[in-house]
Amino acid sequence: MNEARAVATLSLFAFGILAGVVVHAFVDKGPAENPYPALPKVEEPRAAHDVIAAIGADDAQALSRLVDSTMLTDLDTAIQPITDVRSTKFVGAVESEGRLLSAYVVTGKTTDGIDFVVGFVLRVTNDQVVGVN
Amino acid sequence: MVGIRRLIAGSAGTLLVGMFAGFVIASAVGVFIQDSGLFGASGESPIARAYMLGLLQRDPNSIVGIRPNQSIAQRAAELQGADTSRTTTSITPLSLTYIGGASVGGYSVHIYAVDLRNAQGVDQFFPLALTVSGGKVVRSE
Repeated sequence: MNEARAVATLSLFAFGILAGVVVHAFVDKGPAENPYPALPKVEEPRAAHDVIAAIGADDAQALSRLVDSTMLTDLDTAIQPITDVRSTKFVGAVESEGRLLSAYVVTGKTTDGIDFVVGFVLRVTNDQVVGVN
Repeated sequence: MVGIRRLIAGSAGTLLVGMFAGFVIASAVGVFIQDSGLFGASGESPIARAYMLGLLQRDPNSIVGIRPNQSIAQRAAELQGADTSRTTTSITPLSLTYIGGASVGGYSVHIYAVDLRNAQGVDQFFPLALTVSGGKVVRSE
Protein backbone atom coordinates (compact mmCIF):
# COMPACT_ATOMS: atom_id res chain seq x y z
CA MET A 1 0.00 0.00 0.00
CA ASN A 2 2.77 2.39 1.00
CA GLU A 3 4.80 1.46 -2.07
CA ALA A 4 1.83 2.09 -4.33
CA ARG A 5 1.31 5.49 -2.71
CA ALA A 6 4.99 6.38 -3.14
CA VAL A 7 4.93 5.35 -6.80
CA ALA A 8 1.75 7.35 -7.37
CA THR A 9 3.22 10.44 -5.70
CA LEU A 10 6.44 10.22 -7.70
CA SER A 11 4.48 9.66 -10.92
CA LEU A 12 2.34 12.68 -10.16
CA PHE A 13 5.44 14.76 -9.45
CA ALA A 14 7.09 13.60 -12.69
CA PHE A 15 3.91 14.42 -14.60
CA GLY A 16 3.94 17.85 -12.95
CA ILE A 17 7.53 18.45 -14.09
CA LEU A 18 6.55 17.51 -17.62
CA ALA A 19 3.54 19.81 -17.47
CA GLY A 20 5.78 22.63 -16.17
CA VAL A 21 8.16 22.17 -19.10
CA VAL A 22 5.25 22.27 -21.54
CA VAL A 23 3.83 25.43 -19.91
CA HIS A 24 7.28 27.04 -20.12
CA ALA A 25 7.51 26.20 -23.81
CA PHE A 26 4.24 28.08 -24.41
CA VAL A 27 5.06 31.03 -22.17
CA ASP A 28 8.68 31.59 -23.20
CA LYS A 29 8.57 33.00 -26.71
CA GLY A 30 11.87 33.55 -28.53
CA PRO A 31 12.88 36.87 -30.08
CA ALA A 32 10.43 38.44 -32.52
CA GLU A 33 11.21 37.85 -36.18
CA ASN A 34 13.81 40.20 -37.62
CA PRO A 35 12.22 41.97 -40.60
CA TYR A 36 15.60 43.25 -41.78
CA PRO A 37 18.44 41.30 -43.37
CA ALA A 38 21.32 40.23 -41.11
CA LEU A 39 24.96 40.52 -42.14
CA PRO A 40 27.19 37.43 -42.13
CA LYS A 41 29.74 37.12 -39.32
CA VAL A 42 33.43 37.52 -40.11
CA GLU A 43 36.61 36.61 -38.25
CA GLU A 44 38.03 38.81 -35.53
CA PRO A 45 40.33 41.44 -37.06
CA ARG A 46 43.95 41.20 -35.90
CA ALA A 47 44.20 44.88 -34.93
CA ALA A 48 41.13 44.63 -32.70
CA HIS A 49 42.39 41.39 -31.18
CA ASP A 50 45.64 43.12 -30.15
CA VAL A 51 43.73 45.92 -28.44
CA ILE A 52 41.45 43.56 -26.52
CA ALA A 53 44.43 41.39 -25.56
CA ALA A 54 46.12 44.43 -24.02
CA ILE A 55 42.94 45.22 -22.07
CA GLY A 56 42.60 41.61 -20.90
CA ALA A 57 46.25 41.53 -19.80
CA ASP A 58 45.88 44.88 -18.04
CA ASP A 59 48.85 46.05 -20.15
CA ALA A 60 48.46 49.84 -20.23
CA GLN A 61 51.80 50.29 -22.01
CA ALA A 62 50.80 48.07 -24.93
CA LEU A 63 47.40 49.72 -25.10
CA SER A 64 48.97 53.18 -25.21
CA ARG A 65 50.94 52.13 -28.31
CA LEU A 66 47.90 50.67 -30.09
CA VAL A 67 45.30 53.45 -29.90
CA ASP A 68 45.37 57.23 -29.75
CA SER A 69 44.27 59.41 -26.82
CA THR A 70 40.79 60.06 -28.22
CA MET A 71 40.12 56.36 -28.51
CA LEU A 72 41.50 55.78 -25.01
CA THR A 73 38.95 58.28 -23.69
CA ASP A 74 36.18 56.53 -25.65
CA LEU A 75 37.37 53.17 -24.36
CA ASP A 76 37.31 54.45 -20.79
CA THR A 77 33.72 55.59 -21.29
CA ALA A 78 32.76 52.31 -22.97
CA ILE A 79 33.88 50.08 -20.13
CA GLN A 80 32.42 52.23 -17.34
CA PRO A 81 31.56 51.41 -14.57
CA ILE A 82 34.12 48.56 -14.63
CA THR A 83 37.43 49.57 -13.13
CA ASP A 84 38.93 46.12 -12.62
CA VAL A 85 38.71 44.01 -15.80
CA ARG A 86 38.49 40.29 -15.06
CA SER A 87 37.76 38.85 -18.49
CA THR A 88 37.31 39.83 -22.12
CA LYS A 89 35.40 37.89 -24.73
CA PHE A 90 35.12 38.33 -28.49
CA VAL A 91 31.45 37.81 -29.35
CA GLY A 92 31.48 38.43 -33.09
CA ALA A 93 32.30 40.74 -35.95
CA VAL A 94 30.43 41.95 -39.01
CA GLU A 95 31.52 43.88 -42.07
CA SER A 96 29.75 46.28 -44.41
CA GLU A 97 31.57 47.86 -47.35
CA GLY A 98 35.00 47.66 -45.76
CA ARG A 99 33.79 48.93 -42.40
CA LEU A 100 34.23 46.30 -39.73
CA LEU A 101 32.64 46.16 -36.29
CA SER A 102 34.28 43.80 -33.81
CA ALA A 103 32.23 43.28 -30.64
CA TYR A 104 33.47 42.37 -27.15
CA VAL A 105 32.05 41.72 -23.73
CA VAL A 106 34.09 42.70 -20.71
CA THR A 107 33.35 41.47 -17.21
CA GLY A 108 34.87 42.89 -14.08
CA LYS A 109 34.25 44.74 -10.89
CA THR A 110 33.10 48.27 -10.27
CA THR A 111 34.75 50.56 -7.72
CA ASP A 112 32.16 49.26 -5.24
CA GLY A 113 33.28 45.66 -5.89
CA ILE A 114 30.10 44.72 -7.76
CA ASP A 115 30.36 42.23 -10.63
CA PHE A 116 29.36 43.91 -13.87
CA VAL A 117 29.32 43.22 -17.59
CA VAL A 118 29.62 45.74 -20.44
CA GLY A 119 29.73 45.41 -24.19
CA PHE A 120 31.64 47.58 -26.61
CA VAL A 121 32.66 47.56 -30.23
CA LEU A 122 35.92 48.40 -31.96
CA ARG A 123 35.61 49.91 -35.42
CA VAL A 124 38.21 48.62 -37.83
CA THR A 125 39.04 49.98 -41.27
CA ASN A 126 42.05 49.01 -43.40
CA ASP A 127 43.35 46.70 -40.65
CA GLN A 128 43.44 49.54 -38.14
CA VAL A 129 41.27 50.27 -35.13
CA VAL A 130 39.68 53.62 -35.93
CA GLY A 131 37.07 53.97 -33.21
CA VAL A 132 35.43 52.68 -30.06
CA ASN A 133 31.68 52.53 -29.41
CA MET B 1 -14.78 11.95 2.99
CA VAL B 2 -11.93 13.65 4.84
CA GLY B 3 -9.55 11.01 3.46
CA ILE B 4 -10.58 11.73 -0.12
CA ARG B 5 -10.19 15.48 0.42
CA ARG B 6 -6.72 14.94 1.82
CA LEU B 7 -5.85 12.70 -1.10
CA ILE B 8 -7.02 15.29 -3.62
CA ALA B 9 -5.28 18.16 -1.82
CA GLY B 10 -2.07 16.15 -1.51
CA SER B 11 -2.16 15.13 -5.17
CA ALA B 12 -2.86 18.69 -6.32
CA GLY B 13 0.01 19.94 -4.17
CA THR B 14 2.43 17.36 -5.57
CA LEU B 15 1.33 18.20 -9.10
CA LEU B 16 1.76 21.95 -8.54
CA VAL B 17 5.19 21.54 -6.96
CA GLY B 18 6.19 19.33 -9.91
CA MET B 19 4.91 21.92 -12.39
CA PHE B 20 6.82 24.67 -10.62
CA ALA B 21 9.99 22.56 -10.62
CA GLY B 22 9.52 21.74 -14.32
CA PHE B 23 9.00 25.40 -15.19
CA VAL B 24 12.12 26.48 -13.27
CA ILE B 25 14.23 23.66 -14.73
CA ALA B 26 13.08 24.45 -18.29
CA SER B 27 13.78 28.14 -17.72
CA ALA B 28 17.29 27.48 -16.37
CA VAL B 29 18.12 25.05 -19.16
CA GLY B 30 16.81 27.56 -21.71
CA VAL B 31 19.01 30.33 -20.33
CA PHE B 32 22.04 28.03 -20.34
CA ILE B 33 21.42 26.94 -23.94
CA GLN B 34 20.88 30.54 -25.06
CA ASP B 35 24.05 31.78 -23.37
CA SER B 36 26.23 28.89 -24.48
CA GLY B 37 25.04 28.92 -28.08
CA LEU B 38 24.29 25.19 -27.99
CA PHE B 39 21.91 23.76 -30.59
CA GLY B 40 22.40 26.83 -32.75
CA ALA B 41 20.94 29.22 -30.18
CA SER B 42 22.12 32.77 -30.78
CA GLY B 43 21.80 33.92 -27.18
CA GLU B 44 19.74 36.88 -28.31
CA SER B 45 17.25 38.23 -25.79
CA PRO B 46 13.64 38.76 -26.94
CA ILE B 47 13.69 42.00 -24.94
CA ALA B 48 16.78 43.29 -26.72
CA ARG B 49 15.32 42.34 -30.13
CA ALA B 50 12.02 44.11 -29.32
CA TYR B 51 13.94 47.20 -28.22
CA MET B 52 15.97 47.31 -31.44
CA LEU B 53 12.87 46.87 -33.62
CA GLY B 54 11.11 49.67 -31.70
CA LEU B 55 14.10 51.95 -32.27
CA LEU B 56 14.40 51.21 -35.98
CA GLN B 57 10.67 51.58 -36.51
CA ARG B 58 10.76 54.79 -34.44
CA ASP B 59 7.94 53.61 -32.25
CA PRO B 60 8.66 54.57 -28.61
CA ASN B 61 5.27 53.20 -27.51
CA SER B 62 6.27 49.68 -28.46
CA ILE B 63 9.25 49.69 -26.11
CA VAL B 64 7.84 51.66 -23.20
CA GLY B 65 7.43 48.50 -21.11
CA ILE B 66 11.02 47.32 -21.53
CA ARG B 67 12.86 50.53 -20.68
CA PRO B 68 13.60 52.05 -17.31
CA ASN B 69 10.71 54.22 -16.08
CA GLN B 70 10.74 57.77 -17.40
CA SER B 71 8.85 60.85 -16.31
CA ILE B 72 5.77 61.90 -18.28
CA ALA B 73 7.66 64.90 -19.69
CA GLN B 74 10.49 62.66 -20.95
CA ARG B 75 8.01 60.28 -22.58
CA ALA B 76 6.12 63.16 -24.22
CA ALA B 77 9.37 64.67 -25.53
CA GLU B 78 10.37 61.33 -26.96
CA LEU B 79 7.02 60.89 -28.72
CA GLN B 80 7.37 64.40 -30.17
CA GLY B 81 10.84 63.54 -31.41
CA ALA B 82 9.63 60.31 -32.97
CA ASP B 83 6.73 62.09 -34.72
CA THR B 84 9.05 64.78 -36.08
CA SER B 85 11.55 62.17 -37.14
CA ARG B 86 8.88 60.12 -38.96
CA THR B 87 7.44 63.11 -40.83
CA THR B 88 10.55 65.11 -41.66
CA THR B 89 13.30 62.56 -42.17
CA SER B 90 13.47 59.40 -44.13
CA ILE B 91 15.57 56.66 -42.61
CA THR B 92 15.66 53.27 -44.22
CA PRO B 93 17.07 50.41 -42.15
CA LEU B 94 19.20 48.22 -44.42
CA SER B 95 20.18 45.53 -41.96
CA LEU B 96 19.95 44.57 -38.31
CA THR B 97 22.50 42.03 -37.14
CA TYR B 98 22.77 40.49 -33.70
CA ILE B 99 26.53 40.19 -33.18
CA GLY B 100 26.52 38.48 -29.79
CA GLY B 101 26.29 38.90 -26.06
CA ALA B 102 26.96 37.49 -22.61
CA SER B 103 25.46 37.38 -19.12
CA VAL B 104 26.83 37.97 -15.65
CA GLY B 105 24.52 37.57 -12.70
CA GLY B 106 21.32 39.45 -13.42
CA TYR B 107 22.84 41.48 -16.23
CA SER B 108 23.14 40.54 -19.88
CA VAL B 109 24.71 42.47 -22.72
CA HIS B 110 23.52 42.20 -26.32
CA ILE B 111 25.39 43.86 -29.17
CA TYR B 112 23.86 44.73 -32.54
CA ALA B 113 25.12 46.20 -35.80
CA VAL B 114 22.74 48.53 -37.61
CA ASP B 115 23.07 49.61 -41.21
CA LEU B 116 20.70 52.36 -42.34
CA ARG B 117 20.36 54.91 -45.12
CA ASN B 118 19.47 58.47 -44.13
CA ALA B 119 17.47 61.08 -46.03
CA GLN B 120 20.59 62.25 -47.88
CA GLY B 121 21.20 58.73 -49.16
CA VAL B 122 24.23 58.23 -46.94
CA ASP B 123 24.68 54.77 -45.41
CA GLN B 124 25.46 54.67 -41.71
CA PHE B 125 26.87 51.56 -40.09
CA PHE B 126 27.03 51.61 -36.32
CA PRO B 127 26.85 49.29 -33.30
CA LEU B 128 24.54 49.40 -30.32
CA ALA B 129 25.20 47.58 -27.04
CA LEU B 130 22.17 46.97 -24.84
CA THR B 131 22.36 45.97 -21.18
CA VAL B 132 19.30 44.04 -20.03
CA SER B 133 18.40 43.50 -16.39
CA GLY B 134 15.15 42.59 -14.69
CA GLY B 135 13.32 42.32 -18.01
CA LYS B 136 14.27 45.86 -19.07
CA VAL B 137 16.92 47.53 -21.18
CA VAL B 138 18.80 49.53 -18.56
CA ARG B 139 21.60 50.82 -20.75
CA SER B 140 21.88 51.54 -24.46
CA GLU B 141 25.02 52.92 -26.08
